Amino acid sequence: MRPILMPLLACLFAIPAGPLVAADEAFLDLVAPVLARRCLSCHNDQKTGGGLSMVDPQRLIDDGYIEVADAGSSHIVELISPSNGRAEMPKDSDPLSAEEISAIRSWIDAGAVLPANVQIQAPKIADRQWWSLEPIGSDAEGELRTIVDERLDAKLAQQKLTPLPPADPVTLIRRVTYDLSGLPPTPQQVDAFVAQSRDDPAKAWRDLVDRLLAAPEFGEKWGQHWLDIARYAETHGYDKDQPRNNAWPYRDYVINSFNSDKPFGQFAREQIAGDVLADDTSEGIVATGFLSAGPWDLIAHVEVGEGKLDGRIAKHLDRDEMAAAVFNVFQSTTIQCAQCHNHKFDPIESEDYYRVHAVFAGIDRANRVYAGLTAEQQRHKRALQQERDDTTRQRDEAKKTFEQKVAKQAAAIDPQLDALTQKANQFTPPPQHGFHSQIAARADVVKWVEVDLGTAKPIDRIELIACFDDFNNIGAGFGFPVRFKVDVTSEATLTDQNATTIFDQTADDFTNPEATPVNIDVGGRAVRIVRVTATKLAERRNDFILALGELRVLSPGDGTNVAVGAEVHASDSIPPNARWSPRFLVDQRYHRLSLDEAEAKQWKQLREQRRAIVAAATTPEYQRQIEQWTKRLAEIEQELKAIPAGQFVYAVATEFPKQGKFLPTNGSVRAIHFLNRGDLQAPGARMLPGAPELWPDGPSRFVDHEDYDEAEARVALARYVTRRDNPLIWRSIANRIWQWTFGKPLVGTPNDFGRMGMLPTHPELLDLLAARLRDDRDQSIKSIVRELVCTNAYRRASFADGFEDITRTNLTIDASNDGLWRFNRRRLTAEEFRDSVLAVGGTLRTGDRGGPSFQDFVIERPQHSPHYEYDLHDPNDPASHRRTIYRFVVRSQPQPMLTTLDCADPSISIARRDESTTALQALAQWNNRLIEAMAKRFADRLSAETATDDEAVRLACRLAWGRDANEIEREPLATLIAEHGPETLCRVVLNASAMMYLD
Amino acid sequence: MNAATMHRRSLLRQGLGGLAGIALADMLHREDATADVVLHHPPKAKRVVQLFMAGAASHVDTFDYKPVLEKRNGEPWDPGETVELFQSQPGDCFASPWKFKPYGQSGKQLSEIVAPLGDVVDEIAFIHNLVGKTGVHSQGTLLQTTGFNLPGFPSAGSWVSYGLGSENENLPTFVVLPDHRGFASNGAKNWGNAFLSASHQGTVLRPSGKTPITDLFPPDSDFITPESDRAGLQALKQLNAAYAARRPSDDRLDARVRSYELAAAMQLSATDALDLASEPQHIRDLYGIVDEGSHVDDTEINAKAETEFFGRKCLVARRLLERGVRFVQIWSGNDNGFPRRNWDSHENVARDHGPLALGMSRGAAALIKDLAQRGMLDDTLILWTTEFGRMPCSQGSEGRDHNPFVFTNWMCGGGVVPGTFGESDQWGFRPRDREDATTVYDINATMLHLLGIDHKQLTVRHNGIDRRLTDVHGHVLRDVVGG
Repeated sequence: MRPILMPLLACLFAIPAGPLVAADEAFLDLVAPVLARRCLSCHNDQKTGGGLSMVDPQRLIDDGYIEVADAGSSHIVELISPSNGRAEMPKDSDPLSAEEISAIRSWIDAGAVLPANVQIQAPKIADRQWWSLEPIGSDAEGELRTIVDERLDAKLAQQKLTPLPPADPVTLIRRVTYDLSGLPPTPQQVDAFVAQSRDDPAKAWRDLVDRLLAAPEFGEKWGQHWLDIARYAETHGYDKDQPRNNAWPYRDYVINSFNSDKPFGQFAREQIAGDVLADDTSEGIVATGFLSAGPWDLIAHVEVGEGKLDGRIAKHLDRDEMAAAVFNVFQSTTIQCAQCHNHKFDPIESEDYYRVHAVFAGIDRANRVYAGLTAEQQRHKRALQQERDDTTRQRDEAKKTFEQKVAKQAAAIDPQLDALTQKANQFTPPPQHGFHSQIAARADVVKWVEVDLGTAKPIDRIELIACFDDFNNIGAGFGFPVRFKVDVTSEATLTDQNATTIFDQTADDFTNPEATPVNIDVGGRAVRIVRVTATKLAERRNDFILALGELRVLSPGDGTNVAVGAEVHASDSIPPNARWSPRFLVDQRYHRLSLDEAEAKQWKQLREQRRAIVAAATTPEYQRQIEQWTKRLAEIEQELKAIPAGQFVYAVATEFPKQGKFLPTNGSVRAIHFLNRGDLQAPGARMLPGAPELWPDGPSRFVDHEDYDEAEARVALARYVTRRDNPLIWRSIANRIWQWTFGKPLVGTPNDFGRMGMLPTHPELLDLLAARLRDDRDQSIKSIVRELVCTNAYRRASFADGFEDITRTNLTIDASNDGLWRFNRRRLTAEEFRDSVLAVGGTLRTGDRGGPSFQDFVIERPQHSPHYEYDLHDPNDPASHRRTIYRFVVRSQPQPMLTTLDCADPSISIARRDESTTALQALAQWNNRLIEAMAKRFADRLSAETATDDEAVRLACRLAWGRDANEIEREPLATLIAEHGPETLCRVVLNASAMMYLD
Repeated sequence: MNAATMHRRSLLRQGLGGLAGIALADMLHREDATADVVLHHPPKAKRVVQLFMAGAASHVDTFDYKPVLEKRNGEPWDPGETVELFQSQPGDCFASPWKFKPYGQSGKQLSEIVAPLGDVVDEIAFIHNLVGKTGVHSQGTLLQTTGFNLPGFPSAGSWVSYGLGSENENLPTFVVLPDHRGFASNGAKNWGNAFLSASHQGTVLRPSGKTPITDLFPPDSDFITPESDRAGLQALKQLNAAYAARRPSDDRLDARVRSYELAAAMQLSATDALDLASEPQHIRDLYGIVDEGSHVDDTEINAKAETEFFGRKCLVARRLLERGVRFVQIWSGNDNGFPRRNWDSHENVARDHGPLALGMSRGAAALIKDLAQRGMLDDTLILWTTEFGRMPCSQGSEGRDHNPFVFTNWMCGGGVVPGTFGESDQWGFRPRDREDATTVYDINATMLHLLGIDHKQLTVRHNGIDRRLTDVHGHVLRDVVGG
């Protein structure tokens, strides 16, 4: 075996076999690390920039880059020496430092001695001596809340910090109600708690916490925390940003999982491979909405596709997005840093990153049935879709072969025919094509369309003009009936009794007239209604229709078309659009030929000749085959219609109906290759599913064969992530639970526990929580939360009268309050603010939980790139008076008011929200239409429930702030209501810091 | 400004782990905000206007003259390699429908549809060898606006806002003037703050809209009157000031009091900035403003309407820049809907590019001249870009498909050296020297350099990575900045 040189971050080297000489050391210590760090990523065995690989450094000498013992004449020195701050190499990067260049020069001058059989490898971190990768250690026994307080207090004492006293009951109930439900407490709840606290504060608190944890609002509050990190939204993002109407079941899954206190390990596993693993398959499928929750580039997947490099780049970005999500959220690990090179700080190799890609190599983001269809029905449906695609392809191929055969035989006439056809069609057909019936599955469905002239008039003749439509390159004659008749009557309604058939072509097929009008003589008869009845419809592709371009009814004498603008009725028609409408049948706009008489005659003759060639070439066998396929395709459509739609969730799937170039893998996996510097044009070795070995004995290679099952790989990843000995996941969730309770995490970077992240302020507490959660049979998040809110630390005041000096002293020691000597005052989140505004006005529909999202915008131009217009939404629309977690989250056009209040950007995993204070935020809170509308509703409520201004002010504050106004506050509020009415009072109350902040 | 201040500021920015507190710091320390901004070297530019042509503007029909296309028009196009295009198979050589001729002292060749820029062509630095990453609109647009071809990263304007702070607290630091007919690909993601504080997001301003900034003024209401509005704000100030006073050592609460004062000031400043009536007629004419405003007929795409739409935004931009806005992003072209009102001329270059380019070049030329006559061109950088270029070969008979392999950017003012830097090959298909292409990283590094910022030092740690506008790439274009 060749010794492998492995320069580590701190230049730790594997010692090559054999005794070291000084020249070896110069290379190993000074030169090799530079080559590994600065050159190898573009010059290796997979990616040989300029045809050079440095894995074997001997090549530098053999290929003439180095003149041994003469640095001055060595090409490599020329390449790396900068002029004007830039060197030729490394390309697109900073030049090497002067020391590095000088080391290389000295080594060359000294003879460029290489140790025997040395190889250069990319630098990597092998060091797992890092707090988050160590086994979770906690032997503390006893009640969690007690230990937490003991540990916190010990540290406070050590830092000479004096904690503030407990907060008063009014503050406490408001704090914990928002933290656990996201809503304000009602005045009744406040009063009851205050009263109960006087008798038995411990029991009052216990009861309150139990009530909040048991209420469905808990999931609506904590679910939002999870959706923030899960980058959940209901549009694709990118170009067009089309809606994902089936994303919401995942949102409900998250809320329900928090409410049912689902064991955390199960919660995590389901979101990676629930469709394979879960006992309840429906729920498991929905859970994988986690993997699909991020943005998706519709154009690149559907219009470009994997056949092109851009499409493959999109697939790569898609897998990168999933890999980052899983590792950021569950492992607090930034695996995405290892895309172009080994992770610079954490023990993750670039290969590991591509192993994770291989886990996701068989899935795509797509709508998937999770309920309402049996497995058998789903299989049947997919089989039918498959058969439809196969049959269509067979038929198209047969037709193509046939047409090629015909083209050969018609070679003599085709050029002339084509020229005449082109001339005939040189007038652009009008965009208003004409009448179009609904689509029928069979040709023999009877359909009709009629024109009512309003009164009976003498008529000379009737002209039927076929439509011109480009559908399937048919051109003139599109949809013209194969068999049909024309009936007329002078009465107001055409019946079997009064109808006169003036043209009958129901016994034989009628040759498609294409651009030539079909003239039917009426002979001066009085006519009011003209009806065209098709008894054999025109074939489109797999279905049948009746279409007609223009129906002209001409008077004797001057030949006026009296049908213009007449009423048109039909057995059925497609919804009117720019091209098709019954009224376009009588709009005097139709396709006309542009040939003179002789040309028209010649054209007709040529077409007849060609038809004859076609007829002669048509073998009975061919005809039978085509008919058989067509019939089968119609049957398949019928059978598909008979299968119920089922309920869909936007999740990950291997089977789904194809959409443009977006094709299902059907369970097979895309071959994932190691990519040098993330470049798809520089693929290296095939990679198989696995994950970084972040802790000893972790199962980091999931399969060992190339034709693996993608489900098997995802299950392995789900199990890897949730293993008991995985130190990261339990610490990760413990940190988040602490953050969502105390408002600030123990580790300041909840998505990154690596060396670029922050250190835990209380590592022993983090481990304590992590171990408790992991070892709890139910892995219950609620029981941890219950313990935390019952600590003294949680119940501390955020400020206290008489503690001003202590506060000042504490601030000099611990300004960021890492030690929790006081409670962290926080601003309401965007969702809490909106929910509260609705709640205090009495308009929040608290019971309206789950299901499709409400939209607080109007969609304009939905067909292409939907415009999500928030300005057009009516803030009084009760459908939108639901909790904000049920809103339809748009990626490209975020909700303006919530955005100013720092709601999460769903393009990325948001572990901690910003808490900004800006003028735009003030404008939104002061002027937004929702606030204006809800101030009025709030005022209505005050007027209904109170008799005096004083009472109104009191109730307003109790509802919105959880407390009565104090002496300083009462005066301006009283003046305001007296002079400007309750609405203005409410507008101010909703904007007050007393509303926006939680003490 | 010294190293210690720099250190303090970077601690302030990074030490909080998240970003809470940064906007706050900016707001609270407004008085010494400029003192707090630490530049890495003396700046040449103080502000930026980014002109973005949504849909991908053709370089070979505007700024990058390719005589060979005229010579070989209609002949098969053979670049000597297999070419994979977004929608189509490469068609024949396709000459620009427009004539080119030389302008200025430099004799720079411009097409007739950008002829208005001929007057100022000697002020412009053209870069004809930009390369993109893919030919997908969403990715190309994000790459040019944020430096990354996937969502989740701050816009260049947000980085500038973050790096330089505000010159005028009564207006947003970063203002966006979208095409009023719709947002381009990715919508607001093109001016999003992503992981920077919300105070650095681009604020959409609609010069012709009923409310130019969302929620700038109260909505129609039967209880909000100027009196009740004023009285309400007065009471609110008392309440919030009292709330803050009772809770010392929490800067956020004071900032919140102040935020309402700034909001009121912004109402005045924004209104004032948009008051184009105060502009003299010759200035309105310079920018091609017409009396119909945004109601000018554009049922059929036409140069008059496009000039009005783009020119109005340019004039508003100048007024915003005068009032201390740091970064203005102006869009020409909406989403890829129909009828086309953007530069994505797959079907017909002549139909779309003609009016769009005439409108754009008239507005851009007016802006350059107007800034120059006010002495502001020296420290205002104008950057013209688009998501990628268009092919030298035809799509159908009159259109061009996407060309991410090479396209044009230009810069003007703000200390840039005029001229032509970097060339495309004879076709305008790829860079002339494929080993020496310019990337958006280089453009952004150059922009930051002109603003006094070293692009490698303007970083924010997010999810374990020290993020930069220029990712791990980028070189300042030394020739463009004059050494």
